Amino acid sequence: MKLNSLLLMSRLVKKSPSVCTDLPLSSSDVCNKLHLMKEFLRSSYGPTARLKQVHNNIGGSVVTSSTSSVLLQAIASSQPIISLIRSSILNHVSRFSDCGLFAAVFCLCLLEQAGQCGLRKNVMIKVNKHLLSLCTGYLQQEDCGCKVKLDFCSSQNLITLARSVISSKPTCVLTEPESDHISRLAVQAFLLTVPCNIPDTVRLGRTATITIEGHSVLKSAVFPGLLLSTPENLCFDSLCSPLHVVLFSISLAGDLSEIGDGRIEMHQGVDVDSQILDQLLELGKQVLKDGVKLFLCQKVIHPVLQHYLRCNGVIVIERLGVSLMEPLIQLTGAQPVATLHATIPSTVYGKVHNVCIRQFGSKTMLHLHPAGETAICSMILCHRNETMLNELKLVCQTTEHVLRLTLREPFALLGGGCTETHLAAYVRHKSKNEVSESTSVLGCSQTEYLLAAEAFCHSLELVATSLEHDGGTSLIDLTHAHHWTLPSDVTEEHLEGVMAPCGCGVVESCQNKTRSYLDTKYAGFSPAPLLTASPLQATVLDSFTPKVNALGVAVETANLVLDVRYVIQDVN
Amino acid sequence: MATCQGPCDPEWVRMDGSSSFIAEYSFTEKASAVLKQGARKSVEGSVYVFFSKYNTFQGLKMLELEHLHLKHVVQLVSALESIVLRSFGPEGGQVLFTRDTGQVMLSRSGKRILSALHLEHPLARMVVECVWKHSTITGDGSKTFVLLLASLLRMIHASATKEPHMSQPYNSTETTEAACARHLADRLLDFALTELDALIALNVLPHGFCVSLEDSTGKTEQSFQTFLLTFFNTRLGNVYCDFFRDLMCELLSHWKIKNDQPSFSIRFLNNNFPALRTQVSGFPVGSSRLIEGQVIHRDFATPCPQVNEQSVKAVVFSGYLQPKLLTAGDVLELGCGNRATEDSSIVHFSSWTGRSLENIIATLQSFGVSVLLCALKQSSAALALATQTGMCLVECVSEEEISLFAQLSGVTPISDCWRICPEDIATLTFCKPILLGAHRYVHVDFHDSEERLNVKPCSLVICAPGEGQTDQYACAFQDAIRMLLTAWEPMHKSNITALMRTFPSNKFTSVHKDNMGDETAYASCSMNLHETCVIEPGCVLPAGGTFEFLLHHGLHQYGHSCSVSVNTSAVVPVSELLANALLSLPRHIYSHNPKSFLQAQTRVMALIPKHSHTLSSNVIQTEGLLEDGKLSLHSCKKGSMALTLLDLGLESVSCKYHLVLAVLQCLTSLLRVNKVLRTHTVLHTKSHKLLNARSESTEDEDEDEVVSL
Repeated sequence: MKLNSLLLMSRLVKKSPSVCTDLPLSSSDVCNKLHLMKEFLRSSYGPTARLKQVHNNIGGSVVTSSTSSVLLQAIASSQPIISLIRSSILNHVSRFSDCGLFAAVFCLCLLEQAGQCGLRKNVMIKVNKHLLSLCTGYLQQEDCGCKVKLDFCSSQNLITLARSVISSKPTCVLTEPESDHISRLAVQAFLLTVPCNIPDTVRLGRTATITIEGHSVLKSAVFPGLLLSTPENLCFDSLCSPLHVVLFSISLAGDLSEIGDGRIEMHQGVDVDSQILDQLLELGKQVLKDGVKLFLCQKVIHPVLQHYLRCNGVIVIERLGVSLMEPLIQLTGAQPVATLHATIPSTVYGKVHNVCIRQFGSKTMLHLHPAGETAICSMILCHRNETMLNELKLVCQTTEHVLRLTLREPFALLGGGCTETHLAAYVRHKSKNEVSESTSVLGCSQTEYLLAAEAFCHSLELVATSLEHDGGTSLIDLTHAHHWTLPSDVTEEHLEGVMAPCGCGVVESCQNKTRSYLDTKYAGFSPAPLLTASPLQATVLDSFTPKVNALGVAVETANLVLDVRYVIQDVN
Repeated sequence: MATCQGPCDPEWVRMDGSSSFIAEYSFTEKASAVLKQGARKSVEGSVYVFFSKYNTFQGLKMLELEHLHLKHVVQLVSALESIVLRSFGPEGGQVLFTRDTGQVMLSRSGKRILSALHLEHPLARMVVECVWKHSTITGDGSKTFVLLLASLLRMIHASATKEPHMSQPYNSTETTEAACARHLADRLLDFALTELDALIALNVLPHGFCVSLEDSTGKTEQSFQTFLLTFFNTRLGNVYCDFFRDLMCELLSHWKIKNDQPSFSIRFLNNNFPALRTQVSGFPVGSSRLIEGQVIHRDFATPCPQVNEQSVKAVVFSGYLQPKLLTAGDVLELGCGNRATEDSSIVHFSSWTGRSLENIIATLQSFGVSVLLCALKQSSAALALATQTGMCLVECVSEEEISLFAQLSGVTPISDCWRICPEDIATLTFCKPILLGAHRYVHVDFHDSEERLNVKPCSLVICAPGEGQTDQYACAFQDAIRMLLTAWEPMHKSNITALMRTFPSNKFTSVHKDNMGDETAYASCSMNLHETCVIEPGCVLPAGGTFEFLLHHGLHQYGHSCSVSVNTSAVVPVSELLANALLSLPRHIYSHNPKSFLQAQTRVMALIPKHSHTLSSNVIQTEGLLEDGKLSLHSCKKGSMALTLLDLGLESVSCKYHLVLAVLQCLTSLLRVNKVLRTHTVLHTKSHKLLNARSESTEDEDEDEVVSL
C-alpha cells in the first residue's frame, strides 16, 4: 500500500519551471568558473604538467591523470556553458585522441581575452572565424614554416612524433630510456598493422593490447600474431604446420537460446540435455575428422565436449569475448560458425602457421603465428603499478591513432609551443597588412579588427606559455618566431650561455638572435621559414590532423559561447 | 464574490464562489456540471480548465479559482517577449539550454526556447502551444509571433483602460476592461479574416516580386539564395548562414525532380528528412557536406563486402530470416505418445529452423543477392550463414530509412521469406561502409536512379563540435524546408469584393463621376471586381521590416477612410490597432540603433506613391488586369526594383500573412479566458488543511512566477 502510493507520487511529480540566466558571459559567477577551469586545465598541459587526482565524494576509486579525456569527464559542472565546452572538447578527443588540452586551453583563453577587450560579441565572432580560416589556410600551404613532412622511409620522425605524444603524459612516469622504448614499440606495432600487399582499399589491422602489472616497462614487447590467455595446464605435442582452426560464435554449453518465447512441456523419459550433448559430441566428431587442431569459441564450451576434444589432441580455448573475434577472423581466415545442426562446410576453417606458449609473469599466453601475411599484432605492456599502467595503455592507444592519422596526411607540426608562437606571429603580421581588405569584408572598423586580432594572437601565445610550469619565462625570437623557455634561475645577462635550443629543437641558440618576452608587445614581422638543409632534427613534433581540427574546434566553441545570450536550465 | 448578472460572466462563478466547494464526495459530478455550464455559457467568456492530472480514481480534492486580469496577461506575454528578444534580430544571439537529462542544447528558434522553459502558468502554456503549432506547420516566425502578440496585448490593454464603456452596467473596472479587450480581439480577428488578404494584396504585393523554384537562372537564383540566407541568418546567426545556405541550395538542386513540380520535391524532402541527414559531432562545421546516395545509420552485422563488382543486388526484409520456433503462447510437447524418439527430439525441432534458414539463403543466392537489409535483429545463425555465403547483412534498420530506401530503389520490403520474387530485388551501384565520426554506417547508391526517378539522390552530413549544435543545424534545415513549403504553397483565394464593400464611395468618385449614390457606386464597383485575388506562391519582399511598414501604411489608410465614411468614431478602429502593433517589430529589429529605424521607414515610405491616389490607381490597375483572374504582378515591378537594392535579405509574404492570422487567433483565445480553474489530484491522503495550505502556496508561486519570469 505504502509502496503503491510512493510509486504514484513519483509518477505525478510536477515539472518545475526552468531556471534562467540572462547574458551569462557578463555574470561574474560564470566568468570565475571559466577562469578556474582554464587554470585547472592549463596546469595539466605539457610534459612537465602537474598531475590531478580525481576522487568522487562517495569514496570511489582515485584516478590520477593529466589526460584531457579523463579530466574533462571528471569535471561535470551544473553550469551549462562549462558543459558545452566540455562536450565539444570530449567529442574532439573521441575522434582524434590527441590535442584535447590544447583545444580546451585555447578556447578558454579566447573567451577570457574576448571578455577583456570588451568588443561587441558579433564582431569578435566574425574576426575569430576569419582568423581561423587564415590559420588553417596557412597550415595547409606547402611552404608553411611550422610543418614537417613525414618520411615513411625512415622511422626517425615517426618515433619522434610518438615520443612527443608519450612524453606529454607525465602520469606514465617513464624515464628517458623507457619512453624511448615505448615509442619504438608503438611505431613497430603501427608498422605491423599496415598491410604489405596493398589492394584498392587499405584496411589497417589491429593491435591487441595486453597489460601486465608489476614488471619493468622495458619488458614490454610487440609480437606479430595474436596472444590468447589460456588455462595453465595446456600441453601439446609438436604440431605440424599449418594448423586448422575452427571458430564458434555461439555458446556450446548445451543451452537452447534460439528457441523462442513459447513453453516446452516434457513427458516422462525425455532427456533434453543428453539429446543436446549428443549433438555437441557429433559436432566434435566431425571437427576431429576434418583435422582441426585448434578449437576456439567466443562463449562457453560444455565440459564434456572440452574433455573429449582435449583427449583427442585438440587445443581448446573458450570465453574469448567479442573483442577478439574480429582480429581472430582476420588472422586465421576462419568464418565464425553459429549453428549446431548443419554439417560444417570446409570453407569456414581457418589456418595458423604455428602456436607456442609464452610466459609473462603470472600469465600464460598461447601465441598464434599467422599462416601468411597479416596485419594483426599483439602488444604486451608492463608497468609497475595499475595507475601508471592504465595511463600507459591510454597513451599507447592515442599514439596508435595519431600514427594512423599520418597515413592520410603525412605531416607533423613543430612541437614545444613553436607552432603556436609561429602562427601567432604570422596572423599578427597578416592581419596588420590586410586590415583594410578584411574590415570591408567583415563589416567592422579597423580598430575593432585589430583589437580582436590581438586577442586571438595573444590567446595562441598563452597556450605556448602554458607549457611552462616551473616559473620559467617564455620568449619568442624575432626571426623564425619559435618558442623559447628561460628557466627561472637564469638572469638575462647569462642568457646566451645557457640557452638550450627552442621548444621543438630545430632552431639553435646563437648570438645574433633578438628575442622578446611573450607577454610584451613586439613589432610585427613575417616569420622566416627554416632553411631547407636544417642541421637539426626536430626533437618534439605534434600531430598534424588532430591539431588542425583542435584549432577549429576551439575557435568554433569559443564563438558559440560568445554567441550565447540566455541560458535556460531544466532543473527536473 | 462579485455577483454576476452581466451577460458576459458565466453563471457558475456565483455558484462555486463559496469555499464549501472542497467537499470531496460530490466533486466530480459538480465539476462536470460546472464544465458543461461553462461550455454552454462560453459565448463570451470561456473557462480554461487546468488539470494537472484528471483522474477520477484518485478523486479530485479541491478546485481553485483564479481571476485573470488583463494586466496579468500582458505581463505574462511580456515576460516571454523579453526572453525571445535575446535571440531576435541581427544583434540577437543563441540561447543555451539544458535538458532534464543534462544534455546541452543550443537554439535560436523561438519554438525550442519557449518549450524549454517548462512554464507552469496555464495561459503561458497556451501561448507556447499556439507558437508550437504555428511554427511546426510553417517552420518560421515563432519569435515574431511572441513579439507581435505582446505588442497587440499592450495596445489592447492601453485602449481598454483608456475608454471604458460606462454605458453598460458593470460594477468592476477589471470586468469592464476584460470585456472591452475581448471585444476588441474578436473584432480584430474578424477584420483579419475578412480584409487582411485583400489589404496585403493591394498594399504589400505591388512591392514584392515572385521567385520561382523552377527557373534557376540569374536574378531568380540570386533572390532565392538571399531568401534562404535570411532564414538561416535568423536561425543560426551570421557566421555560418552563407555556408548552410549553399549547402541547402545544393541539396535542393540534387533533389530537384526533373519534369515535375518543384514543390513536390520539397515535400519529399520534408517527409524524408530524418532519414536523409547524418549528424556528426567532433568536427568543425565546415566539414558538413553532401554525399551521393543514401546512408543507412547502422553498421554491417557481418564482415564488410568486397567492393569489386559493378552492381550489387539487395533485398529488404521486414521480419526474421530464421523462423522463431515457438512464439509466445505456443507449447511444444516432447515425448508424447509412443512415436519414434528420433522425430520428437528437441534437436530435431531446433534443426528445423536452421534448415528453413538455409533454404532462404539458398534462394537468395540463386538470385545473386549480396546485401540484406533487415528491420529486425537476426539470429546469430542467420548472421553466420550469411557470412559463409558471402552476403552482408544489416540489422535493425529504422522504419524511416527502409521507407526511403524502398522509394528510391522501387522495391517493397519482403515480409514473407518464402516468397521472394525478382521484383523484390534492388540493384545498387555500390554498398560499402562509411566512417562518419565515431560510427561506421552503410553507404549505398542506387542504380540508374537518374533515369528511373529523374533525381540524383544524396544525403546530408552535418558536422559541428558538439551534439547540441548538430541538432540545431538539423532543425534549421528541417524548418527551412517547411518554410519553403509554406512560402510556395498555392494560396487561398478570397473575394476582392469583400474589400470593395468596405471602401468608402468617395474614393471612387474620381472613377465614376456621375451622380450616383453611395450604394450604387459601390454596387457597380463590386460588379466589376467580383474576380478573386490571389497571393502568388513564392512572393517575397525585402526583409528588415518592409512588410510591417507597408502593411502599417495600408492599415492606417484603411482605418482613416473607414472613420471618414462610416459614423462609428466611437469605436476604436481595429485596423489602427493592428497597424501600430505591427510597427513594434521593426522597432525591435533596429533596437540597437533607433536612427536606423527611422531611416528604414523613410526608405520604404518613399516607395509608396502619394497617398490619396494610391488606392484608386491601384484599384484601377487591378480592375484592368483582373480579367485573367489573378492579380498580375506587372503592376508590381516598378516598386520592387527600388526595394531590391536594399541589402536586407528577403522574406516570404505568405509566411507573414499566416503569422499575423495565427497571432490574432491566439490573441482571441487568450482573451476569451477569464478564469483559471485549478484542480488538484490527490497524491497521498493527508488532511485537508495541509492540502489547503499547499494549494495556497502554489497559487502564490504562480503569482511570483508571472512577475519574475
